[in-house]
Amino acid sequence: MTTASPRFANRWKHVNLVRKVVLTLAFTPLLLLPTATIYQHFLAAHAYDMLPAGDRRLYDVMFWLTDWFITDPDQFDLVKGTTWAATLLGYKISDPLAVVSQLSARFHLFWPLAASAVIPLLFTMLFGRFFCGWICPANLLYELADTFGAILREAGLPLGDRRFDRRLKYLVLAVGIAASAVLGNVVMSPIYPPAIVGREIYYTIAGTAAGAGTAFFAVTVLFDLLVAKRGFCRYLCPGGALYSLLGRYRLVRVQRQVSLCNDCTKCNRACMFDLDPMADGFGQECNNCAACIAVCPTGSLSFALAAKDAAPQGPGHLGAGFKRARKRGHAGESKN
Amino acid sequence: MTATSDSSAPDGKASVMGRRYFVKLMGALAAGAAGAFPAETAWAAAPHETIKLRFLRPPGAGAETDFLATCIRCGQCGQVCPNQAITYFGLNDGLGVAETPYIIPRQQACILCMKCGEVCPSGALEKIPAQAGPILSRVRMGRAVVDTRLCLSYNGKTCGVCYRACPLQDVAMTCGMYEQPTVTDACIGCGLCERACISMVQAVRILPAMDKNQKS
Repeated sequence: MTTASPRFANRWKHVNLVRKVVLTLAFTPLLLLPTATIYQHFLAAHAYDMLPAGDRRLYDVMFWLTDWFITDPDQFDLVKGTTWAATLLGYKISDPLAVVSQLSARFHLFWPLAASAVIPLLFTMLFGRFFCGWICPANLLYELADTFGAILREAGLPLGDRRFDRRLKYLVLAVGIAASAVLGNVVMSPIYPPAIVGREIYYTIAGTAAGAGTAFFAVTVLFDLLVAKRGFCRYLCPGGALYSLLGRYRLVRVQRQVSLCNDCTKCNRACMFDLDPMADGFGQECNNCAACIAVCPTGSLSFALAAKDAAPQGPGHLGAGFKRARKRGHAGESKN
Repeated sequence: MTATSDSSAPDGKASVMGRRYFVKLMGALAAGAAGAFPAETAWAAAPHETIKLRFLRPPGAGAETDFLATCIRCGQCGQVCPNQAITYFGLNDGLGVAETPYIIPRQQACILCMKCGEVCPSGALEKIPAQAGPILSRVRMGRAVVDTRLCLSYNGKTCGVCYRACPLQDVAMTCGMYEQPTVTDACIGCGLCERACISMVQAVRILPAMDKNQKS
């Protein structure tokens, strides 16, 4: 009964794979843009004849990549920035946390900045905490570190898997806002991993050297590995807290079809944010990453349009617990 | 003792500590705490004052306190800077100034292209057209100061390099018969004179305008 059959075919099965591709595609510009900036400087300076061999190779590759659409080095200025704040063809897109930080630091809304966060805000209200799973460059590295951690665990290393209260990150957000207001300073940005990753890659490639932000990020990765699995995203990230709050009534969310669920708990183990898909406990923190959908053996999880989670539906109808209860006549006859 | 002398306790109940005494005690404790941590300590100083470095903010930046409250640390100003003049503080310079842009004019000075204000999403750098009029009236990074003891032109050798490097020649800097530079009030502190100065140590430096109102 639990074997795969056409009945269980789920069209959302591969969304998680698509997400990983999107995540990688969102990360690539962080490597390409600094390289393009170096090339832009070479181009503007007409410096080809003076370049050492390594830079000349970079020039050749970038020339080959961009010559068909770049006629003027200034055109590289049309696309700048990181996932924290970017300029795309003259339009500006910023992280809502940047707007919140600035607002709390100076008690005054700078309207162009607020306008640049409207598109992320709308997407968040539609898809919830999607930024964390689909765009965040730090998440890509944390996921890789998590995979690496799984290998280390397999090899027998005693890595930490402590659980804390997931509401801790709302406290971090509140403390960050309060500290910004008290100090009159945007203090959340330098310790916000998605912003750090973009900046530090830029410093490393196009600047002089990586800064202390790299060390801070390395500490968070070690925290993930040694103390709590995916700990920073789950318990500490202020951006994740803000996106969770904004995405509380998201319209696109994962839902469980109880008649197909067999209580195997694979979804709960796959969830990067330690949520409880098997008991309909998605809540405001789900980032629609679809990892639970990908591992579900019976196809009981799928995307749905709803502003709220389904009420807890009890044990899955394909599971042993439900069958036992039904045999005793306790469960409803709503099996369809 | 305080309770008996306190006339505000008419019912004769002996309170160990009268309210007035308590307030005084708290006031004394607060004053003591303030005395123990004087305002000169590093954490009480403005973030930029702990930096042991003479740096400029990019053109279009307002007063330092406003700048720190407005800049979202996105790093785009440094990415568009064609002269690579804009670099960034790190977390090791303190959380207050971490990841904010700065310019060391002796290393690489601002060429006043105004691209950073164009790309800045946060309003920390004002959007200023790259024309002499708006730049002169709205940019205030600092002001050049000539040390006549070090300056070659003031010491019998005709130099004039700073005058020739100045993008606002005869407006921000004038020079005398033997190329002795004189900085006028119109100087906005781009730092190209300090960058160009052939004297080691440089005879002309920019005094950063950190707390001045940007609009003069």
